[in-house]
Amino acid sequence: MVSRRDLFTGAAALVGAGVVSRVGAASLPEAVIMQSAATQVPPPPPNGRPYNPVVTLNGWSLPWRMNNGVKEFHLVAEPVVREFAPGMKANLWGYNGASPGPTIEVVEGDRVRIFVTNRLPEHTSIHWHGQPLPNGMDGVTGLTQKGIQPGKTMVYEFEAKRPGTFMYHPHADEMVQMAMGMMGFWVTHPKNPNFMKVDRDYVFLLGSYDIEPGSFVPKTSTMLDFNLFTFNSRVFPGIDTMVARQGERVRIRFGNLTMTNHPIHLHGHEFEVTGTDGGWTRPESRWPEVTVDVGVGQMRAIEFVANNPGDWAFHCHKSHHTMNAMGHDVPTMIGVSQRDAAKKISSIIPDYMAMGSTGGSMGEMEMPLPENTLPMMGGQGPFGGVEMGGMFTVMKVRKDQKRGDYSDPGWYKHPAGTLAYEWNGAPPEAVRSTSAGGQSMPGPKPAQNVEFNVRKPSGHSGH
Amino acid sequence: MKPIVFTPLLKTSSLLLAVSVLAGCSTLSNDGGASDVSKLTQPRIGFGVTGERTDSDAQASSAQVSKLLAAPLTPDSAVQIALLNNRGLQASLAELGVSEADFVQAGRMRNPGFSFSRMRGGDEVEIERSVMFDLIGLLTIPLRSTIEQGRFEQAKITAASEAVRLAGETRRAYFSAVAAAQTEKFMSQVVTSAEAGAQLAQEQAKVGNWSKLDRAREQAFYAEATTQYARARHAATATREQLARLLGLWGSNVNYKIPDRLPDLPQKPNEPGALEALAMEQRLDIQIAKRDVDATARSLGLTNATGFINVLDAGYANKSTTGAPRENGYEISLELPIFDWGGARRARAKATYMLSVNRTADAAVRARSEVREAYSAYRTTYDVAKHYRDQVVPLRKQISEEVLLRYNGMLASVFELLADSRDQITSVNGAIEAQRDFWIAETELQAAINGSGGAVSQPTVAASSSAPAAEH
Repeated sequence: MVSRRDLFTGAAALVGAGVVSRVGAASLPEAVIMQSAATQVPPPPPNGRPYNPVVTLNGWSLPWRMNNGVKEFHLVAEPVVREFAPGMKANLWGYNGASPGPTIEVVEGDRVRIFVTNRLPEHTSIHWHGQPLPNGMDGVTGLTQKGIQPGKTMVYEFEAKRPGTFMYHPHADEMVQMAMGMMGFWVTHPKNPNFMKVDRDYVFLLGSYDIEPGSFVPKTSTMLDFNLFTFNSRVFPGIDTMVARQGERVRIRFGNLTMTNHPIHLHGHEFEVTGTDGGWTRPESRWPEVTVDVGVGQMRAIEFVANNPGDWAFHCHKSHHTMNAMGHDVPTMIGVSQRDAAKKISSIIPDYMAMGSTGGSMGEMEMPLPENTLPMMGGQGPFGGVEMGGMFTVMKVRKDQKRGDYSDPGWYKHPAGTLAYEWNGAPPEAVRSTSAGGQSMPGPKPAQNVEFNVRKPSGHSGH
Repeated sequence: MKPIVFTPLLKTSSLLLAVSVLAGCSTLSNDGGASDVSKLTQPRIGFGVTGERTDSDAQASSAQVSKLLAAPLTPDSAVQIALLNNRGLQASLAELGVSEADFVQAGRMRNPGFSFSRMRGGDEVEIERSVMFDLIGLLTIPLRSTIEQGRFEQAKITAASEAVRLAGETRRAYFSAVAAAQTEKFMSQVVTSAEAGAQLAQEQAKVGNWSKLDRAREQAFYAEATTQYARARHAATATREQLARLLGLWGSNVNYKIPDRLPDLPQKPNEPGALEALAMEQRLDIQIAKRDVDATARSLGLTNATGFINVLDAGYANKSTTGAPRENGYEISLELPIFDWGGARRARAKATYMLSVNRTADAAVRARSEVREAYSAYRTTYDVAKHYRDQVVPLRKQISEEVLLRYNGMLASVFELLADSRDQITSVNGAIEAQRDFWIAETELQAAINGSGGAVSQPTVAASSSAPAAEH
């Protein structure tokens, strides 16, 4: 599966045979291909200015070639297969074998030359989102350049002037091309590696896709009703865990290429937004947060000290965004007694099982699904099913996690007395106020009383 | 005085010889010609006929019918029962007996006539005695016999044709009844599904998940499904009664059993082959027409030869007059062809002949066309039924499986599941109808080849297309 082919140890051997023509091979830098969706922790830069590499969640960084002091990269826009999580793959468009494409890491002041080869069936271009660059390098088809035709290669060249957090994406048929997964991360490191230095620097892009269960290609004309919300084209339980050693300073940078905002929420820590697409925020402008909203087309860098050991949820706070493919027109069945109807339904649909009478949670129920789709919620934690999907992962903070070690330390072992426990005594008396509130703002009297039936849980009546 | 046909070729002597031979030898058969009819029906419908002439016949028939009714009917056992038990057919067979009696009668010499007259005028008494033989009648026994035999044969073919038609109708009714019962069963499943949906909708509204609008929509389907089911049930009853009529069943026998499902389609449809030629040989209406041509040809030949003879009576006569010796002699009366040389009769006979020749040709042309059309219907209904079986129904099944998987993943609701199950049931109904149409078309094709043609079946529009679209 991994076609990484010694990416960082023997980079010279990595010329994608089918990608670069024999004639072009003499002048083009190698187009390295990656098909794995596992997080690839990059080594320190082999040449050029030093920097502290970022870790692309479920992604990788693109190697380069130094050519007379110019950093040369080669991006190949092409159809790719991306695993969203074990059990589901999608036919997307991406760069160098994956969607999103590889992260490009450069250093402030680097002269950068990027060869872009188009292996798509239609023309494309790349816009370097947030970069100050000559207008003709901005990558807007029709406005600043002609589209890169299928089979052709075009070159972008500019100086990475401003350090910060950027992304790249097409500005040609972008509705289709971005819906198909064409995007990538870009980090321009500061010249001084000690400037705002952090111990771990995670990056990823938010994406949304509409892939009908049982199908493989996103619907490119969907505007808002997406069913898969992704970090780097992965969904929980397919998103890698982030790890930190207790006390380490952690930066997480994310860019939003979906069609809605995402309130990104970290448990157990407060953080500050230290950077946007516009650059680093001034320290005096920062305030503590546990959730930061990243708008459409925006990027945020948050930083915090990982001082609380544990397994901390990290997710978008829109509850549908932490679900995988689900029916958006499914009626609420809460409180509906289905027993009689279920018997009738079973007589015509033998494999039918009544669901939803007590809520949406399917507990540990495992039922066959359409091919190439994921359960709405999935992933097993130490205490059972984690009823999440989509934009959800875990930040694991450990006392004994080694520096530079990104491997998964397993589940957190809670010290005695630090775990929620069941109360077996008598329920405590509820404290109620009799005087607060009152009739300060009485409304018009309703014409008639509406009856409500409050359903108290009474066992698994519907199952 | 009745018109007499006469063959000119026969000489009196041989005629007399023939008379003496024939007069006593045309006798009534034991079964009124039913076995001859069986010989005609056996290769065409696989079964013979039995005429019920005595009580023991009736008992034997009724025992056999009871035996056949013990098991769920098959197309063949239904046909057998109809042949034994259908009163209309028994009436046809009885009519055959009438024909046979005529035929036998034609072979008997007419009784001689005797006339006696006594007249008195004053003292004079005149007595006339005569014994009259129907000489021409005697002479024409073989001729009349041949003609009556032709009629008898004709009646046999007619009865056989009746039996073949009855067999075809029975098979059609059988397939309709089985299909209607099958449809009724499936429609009851639609009702179950709609009922479950309505029940859930009611619950949904009761606990506050749904508005009255949503609930009413789901219940409306249930309400409509109930009426459809009522119609399906009546259709099952009506087709069953139609079959009962053809089988001649009544009393406790109307509770006859039919199988749950139609017979499977044959592996392969029959190739058209020489169906038209076969129909020319086999079709009973063609045979009737051909015999008609033969008969009119014979009578045309006769009329040509004897057109001027109207009647010929001969007899012995004597006369006694008082005071005079008794006079003995004979008397022949002959119509003289002075005013009517029979030209009109000959023209009539010729026209009659041409009439039957053209009728035969017409029957042949129609038969050939009917065979071609029936084959097309047979082949089309086969392909449609096969398409339902191999494509539509499996695809529907696959869709249902996929919808269930989506329901499992909370991607689709239970109402979609129910709506889909109704769609699936409707498709299965379409498949049942297609299969029924095939078997009926097959029956029609057999009728077009072996019988007298049948109502060529139109491929019916499947009920599925008229079924109400699912609400969800």
